[in-house]
Amino acid sequence: MSTETKDLAVADVVQEPVRRRDFLKVLGVGGAAAATVGCYSDQVEKLIPYVASPDNTVPGVSTYYASTCRECAVGCGIIVETRDGRAIKIEGNPDHPVNEGALCARGQSALQGLYNPDRFRGPMKRQGDTLVPTTWEDAITLLSTGLAGVRSGGGASGAVFINQHEQGSFSGFVDQWLAGFGMPAHLSVDAEAPLSSIAANRQTLGVAWPAYDFGAAKLIVSFEADYLDAWGLTVPQQLAFAEARAKIDGAPRVVYVGARRSLTGLNADTWIPARPGSLQAVAEAIGAAITGRGNASLASAAEQAGVPLESLESLVVELRDSKPSLLLAGGADANATATAVAVNELNRALGNVGATIKPAEGSQAYDGLSSHSALRDAADRMAAGRVTVAFVRGANPAHTMPGMANFAEAFARVPFKVSFSSYPDATTDMCDLVLPDNHSLESWGDAEPVRGTLTLQQPTMDPVFNTRATADVLIAVAKADAQMAGRYPVDYRAFIVGRVGGAAALASALPTGITRGSALSAAAPKSVAARGAGATGQGDYFLHVYQSPVVGDGRGANKPWLQELPDPVTKIAWQTVVELHPETARKLSLVSGDHVTVSSAGGSITAPVYLYIGIRPDTIGVATGRGHTSYGRYAAGCGANAMSLLGVVEDARSGQFALSGGRASIAKAVGTARLVTTEGSARQHDRGIAQAITIDQFRAGEGVEHPHVFPGQASTEFLPGLRAPVANDAQGDLGDPLSTQKGQYDPAHWSGAAKRRWAMVVDLARCTGCSACVTACYAENNIPTVGAPWQGPQFWPDRTGFGANVTRNREMAWIRLERYFEIDREPKDVEFDPDFDTRVIPMMCQHCGNAPCEPVCPVYATYHSPDGLNVQVYNRCVGTRYCSNGCPYKVRYFNWFGFGEPDRAQYAFPEPLNWQLNPDVTVRGKGVMEKCTFCVQRIRESENRARLEDRELEPDEFTVACAQACPSRAITFGDAADEQWAVSRLVENERAYHVFEELNTFTAVVYLRKVNHPSPGGNTATARA
Amino acid sequence: MATLAQPDLTNEPKRPNIAKAGLQLPAVKDYAQVDREIMATLRPTKAWFTLLMASMTCLAIGAASWIYQIYAGLGVAGYSPPVMWGVYIITFVFWIGIGHAGTLISAILYLFRAGFRTTIYRCAEAMTVFAVMTAGLFPIIHIGRPWKFFWLIPYPNWRLLWPNFKSPLVWDVFAISTYLTISVTFLFIGLLPDIATLRDAEKNPMKKQLLSILSFGWRNSENEWRHFARAYLFLAAFSTPLVLSVHSVVSFDFSMALVPGWHTTIFAPYFVAGAIFSGMGMVFTIIIPIRKYFKLEHYVTLNVMDAGAKLTLFTSMVVGCAYLVEFFIAWYSGVQVEQDYFWNRVFGQWWYAAWIMLTCNMILPLSLFSQKLRRNPAWLFVLSLFINIGMWYERFVIIVPGLSHEFVPWQWSGYRPTFIDMGILIGSFGWFFMWFLLFIKQLPVIAIAEVKEIVPPRLRRAASSASHGGGH
Repeated sequence: MSTETKDLAVADVVQEPVRRRDFLKVLGVGGAAAATVGCYSDQVEKLIPYVASPDNTVPGVSTYYASTCRECAVGCGIIVETRDGRAIKIEGNPDHPVNEGALCARGQSALQGLYNPDRFRGPMKRQGDTLVPTTWEDAITLLSTGLAGVRSGGGASGAVFINQHEQGSFSGFVDQWLAGFGMPAHLSVDAEAPLSSIAANRQTLGVAWPAYDFGAAKLIVSFEADYLDAWGLTVPQQLAFAEARAKIDGAPRVVYVGARRSLTGLNADTWIPARPGSLQAVAEAIGAAITGRGNASLASAAEQAGVPLESLESLVVELRDSKPSLLLAGGADANATATAVAVNELNRALGNVGATIKPAEGSQAYDGLSSHSALRDAADRMAAGRVTVAFVRGANPAHTMPGMANFAEAFARVPFKVSFSSYPDATTDMCDLVLPDNHSLESWGDAEPVRGTLTLQQPTMDPVFNTRATADVLIAVAKADAQMAGRYPVDYRAFIVGRVGGAAALASALPTGITRGSALSAAAPKSVAARGAGATGQGDYFLHVYQSPVVGDGRGANKPWLQELPDPVTKIAWQTVVELHPETARKLSLVSGDHVTVSSAGGSITAPVYLYIGIRPDTIGVATGRGHTSYGRYAAGCGANAMSLLGVVEDARSGQFALSGGRASIAKAVGTARLVTTEGSARQHDRGIAQAITIDQFRAGEGVEHPHVFPGQASTEFLPGLRAPVANDAQGDLGDPLSTQKGQYDPAHWSGAAKRRWAMVVDLARCTGCSACVTACYAENNIPTVGAPWQGPQFWPDRTGFGANVTRNREMAWIRLERYFEIDREPKDVEFDPDFDTRVIPMMCQHCGNAPCEPVCPVYATYHSPDGLNVQVYNRCVGTRYCSNGCPYKVRYFNWFGFGEPDRAQYAFPEPLNWQLNPDVTVRGKGVMEKCTFCVQRIRESENRARLEDRELEPDEFTVACAQACPSRAITFGDAADEQWAVSRLVENERAYHVFEELNTFTAVVYLRKVNHPSPGGNTATARA
Repeated sequence: MATLAQPDLTNEPKRPNIAKAGLQLPAVKDYAQVDREIMATLRPTKAWFTLLMASMTCLAIGAASWIYQIYAGLGVAGYSPPVMWGVYIITFVFWIGIGHAGTLISAILYLFRAGFRTTIYRCAEAMTVFAVMTAGLFPIIHIGRPWKFFWLIPYPNWRLLWPNFKSPLVWDVFAISTYLTISVTFLFIGLLPDIATLRDAEKNPMKKQLLSILSFGWRNSENEWRHFARAYLFLAAFSTPLVLSVHSVVSFDFSMALVPGWHTTIFAPYFVAGAIFSGMGMVFTIIIPIRKYFKLEHYVTLNVMDAGAKLTLFTSMVVGCAYLVEFFIAWYSGVQVEQDYFWNRVFGQWWYAAWIMLTCNMILPLSLFSQKLRRNPAWLFVLSLFINIGMWYERFVIIVPGLSHEFVPWQWSGYRPTFIDMGILIGSFGWFFMWFLLFIKQLPVIAIAEVKEIVPPRLRRAASSASHGGGH
């Protein structure tokens, strides 16, 4: 019963002597009203104003903080938007030298780490088999006494501090602290880091990571370096790569050498599918062919790699002809460093160093990184009982180390284990004391991504939980020690102030987050001898384990945004799959979804089969990152851990664990699974959705379409922005050529509402398919994730499970990346053919001028706004879903359950994940349709701000969330009716086309055709339009 | 059986204009027999009670499923986007279609003076009313927020918001509500003299009072008969266009959308023919057990069955023709999306549904070319069940494969209904048959007054000299 009704009834009763009849009337009316009101899902909430408003806080107006992203080692600059003291959105920092305003999906998802519902609420200590909450005083006392015990026992030298690698002063700070207690320097570990490439760079170029100038190159050859997604500094590399490819004429051709086409491989024009472990031979043979030095022959390399000799020969010819070029070596097999050295020497021989590779301008992201061998060595010492105390912060070696390293068993033998991690995970669960660190968005810090430039990390809000910055804990412990107390400032903030050069300097640096200076660097890590060759496994197939570009080494697995983000290549979410070529699957009588058991040196995993035409038939591909035993509700029990397959094989020169190149066997296991995928059909069926032309066609001026004029169509001359083919609207009177009644669509209308025509251009020559836009959209528009096991129907337990809703295509991504393969052969033909082209296309609401969804809605829940938006009114929607049937682009999404309703089992934002919700955007309830709004909240906010400041909107003053995040700058949003906006020029690009133009939908989204650069020898699929 | 000589019409007095041509009931001798035999069907029996309980159990299953669905959300049904319409819309169209045969029989055949309708029309008209009542539930069951369904109805409100009159779903609201209103009125008007007959035979004073009110105090006067016949004629004339328009409007739900396989001009006639075809199937499903267990074989004669079977055969061939035309147009149009869709429908993902449809609706009814089978109630009953299944699958084949295989291949999908879908489907049968079973034990399932039109009055038969034909 609603409060109002109750009060009314009581008031009536009290004021007058009650007559029986009146009482019954009130009761009846009240009951009826309560029954009616009770049907509404809307809850009565209270708004309580501040009694004393905090400084600089205006309700409804965001505050922005510049900081540094800590989701991977790169250290991109970010701007965190906070509202009423809560961080709600992360954007790239446009002034930052690394990422220039772009941000990847993992960076966007930092918020879900901050508000993760499974974070430690406060310090924990071990009591028997479980961790129980304790106070910080108690926890720090426990740590101090524990340390004192270790020191008095003379075991200080047996300490191991494992820290998740992050660039900046903390590493130096923690080393000083450790040294103060007589403990050895910490291990700065990163399971994802391309250690071999780094080692090779150090050896040949003298730096860990040079700057790569993709734009200067005429030919890019990648030896398993997934520079767009999982190798190196992905965001800046994407920015540079997209910029290079957007040159169209003069853009670099891309060749990918490797056993499996990664996202970089799919963006390549030519794929040379070399066997795992053969890259060194290929690189050295090419080097020998070009320089004439050495005796490696192309023929034997081709033999070893299992590729046609011609493909290597033509690559050699191309390399000779296209200078400068850019050769990159990633890979993680046992000779990866040797490969990278050979590639770097080839770069030098071709004159690329200095032209496309600039060691002097390199990144420091990987400075201070310890090798995997060092971590394995620590595990060995633990197993031998020589480690007295172990600290772990952020890293989760029990999950990220190869199965045969047996880290967990070794770790268990350490008498005193302390974790500073924020989340329970396989490693932290074993610890005796948990001192949860603040999230990076709650802490002070710094990084020096580029030499001489210090980028700051500052708290954007008060800690969500009772956590403390590890640095502050270390200071507190040091203060308790008489010898060390004097060396430390009051807290780590003061330490940072000291690094920056005083409080005033800090205050002036914080607005941009960038200043000049350098971080306190740790001593170079002690090199540890790699163990070299180990067990590589038995079996008929090569095993190719690769770092998941989405959940990484597993650290992203507890964030539902990342779990639900389909892998850019396989399009699998919430699941670990075994990738097989269809030819292999046919040979083994397997079909997609069959469970198989893959066994290799370290153990075996059972997972469903995914058929992928971009992998060699003799190779099995498995991504890392899932299969957690702990790590919270979104990660535990989801998928299988690929690392458990591996034996301990280390690249002797870099100490990197070999992920690829081992052998494995495969056997059919019991059962099948539905693949948790967003992929319907991976072929376009000649429907011209993602179009492409070759560079020759482009030069010849082919494929240029002129706007069609249809006889009898209403005149749209009066509409603004007609120079753009987006400005059409056949709704109502506009469909009548003779009508003069154009209503609000007429720019002369008093409302002035039709002045603008919002439109978007997506350049497919730039788009790599990385999917950062998808997560940015989730973050901006409160899109619920639907794949957690409890989000299915609750009635049948078998219908739940990770991704159950996604298997029914119920994911809600307003923008999705469609990934099509163009193959010359029939789809039935499953024989291996490396010659196929990949098209990726972001698909979101096209905001049709003549939208098929609008006339069919019976209640006007969707209609057209005068400024060209296809608007969805959630409150008015009754959920007939007719609009979705009408939509040819299938970009409308339905709330099948109460994903946005807190009292539902399917609620997508369990406390405190809901703190992230954008207050400018409605959280949709069950039973309504939703779709891309062109970030209408941003449009209106900017318009309102301009109006308040009594000015016009400036061209490109704001942009939508997907465009803002996009690391390849493929998306441009703006006013097509105003020629000063970038979008109005782009819609006239010669490569422009509309998807399904023949349906007369007059979309406001214009795509620019991808441009392929087929090899001079001619690979046919790439040449398809 | 049809051996009786044509009735002598030369000395016929002026009668209400009720169609009866061509119908002969040789085993029905007089009015008293009609009263006795038809009113005998109204006595509740154990078998009837068992059936009613079974129906209500089905209804309870459906109700429970719906309540759970409202609580949890539509996700509990089998929807798999882009298949946003599923079992509920299929079943909606199925029930609406069934209604149409009833109106065809009671109204159109009346206007066409097809006498064989006389003994089955009451049953068919009741079927119409209950089928429309069932169908009308489904748009509400189907929508995401059923508690807001009234937003589809144009009612004055302070927000000045009206429904979107461009939307076929709003047309549906009008079509269904009109159809239900006219059908109920038509059924009730036709019942008036029969209710009066029941009243006259009733002993229980309470029931007598109730029937008296329901019969509007029918006194069997000349004036009443004249007005009755006029009203009957007008309502038949009102209903006739509805047979065509309602299902055309339902077909617009599909043909107005841009979905391949939906967006076609053939849909209106195709749906109307399918509706009548499916309705004839349901009429047979209902009337054959009734004539057997109520021992009314001499009312619903084999001639009546034969004529109904011919109508079924004809509509089956219209529907079959429409199927073939669809394939032809898909090929002839040269639209690749359309061609892909039809290929996928018959030889791809949905082959089983398409072949169930083609077999049940196109191939099996061809057996009705045989007069022997047309006059074989057992075969007609079996065939009618196949037709019901086939026509449900026809709507499945139209809706699901169309949505699952649209323009964007990336969004191609499948569809698996869940227990909730099936529970509500079962519940709809429970709801329909509950009303129908209640109806047949309260009111005569064969129109007493209209049968009496055919039976020659006793006096005239005795002496061929009756002065007038009263005493109905």
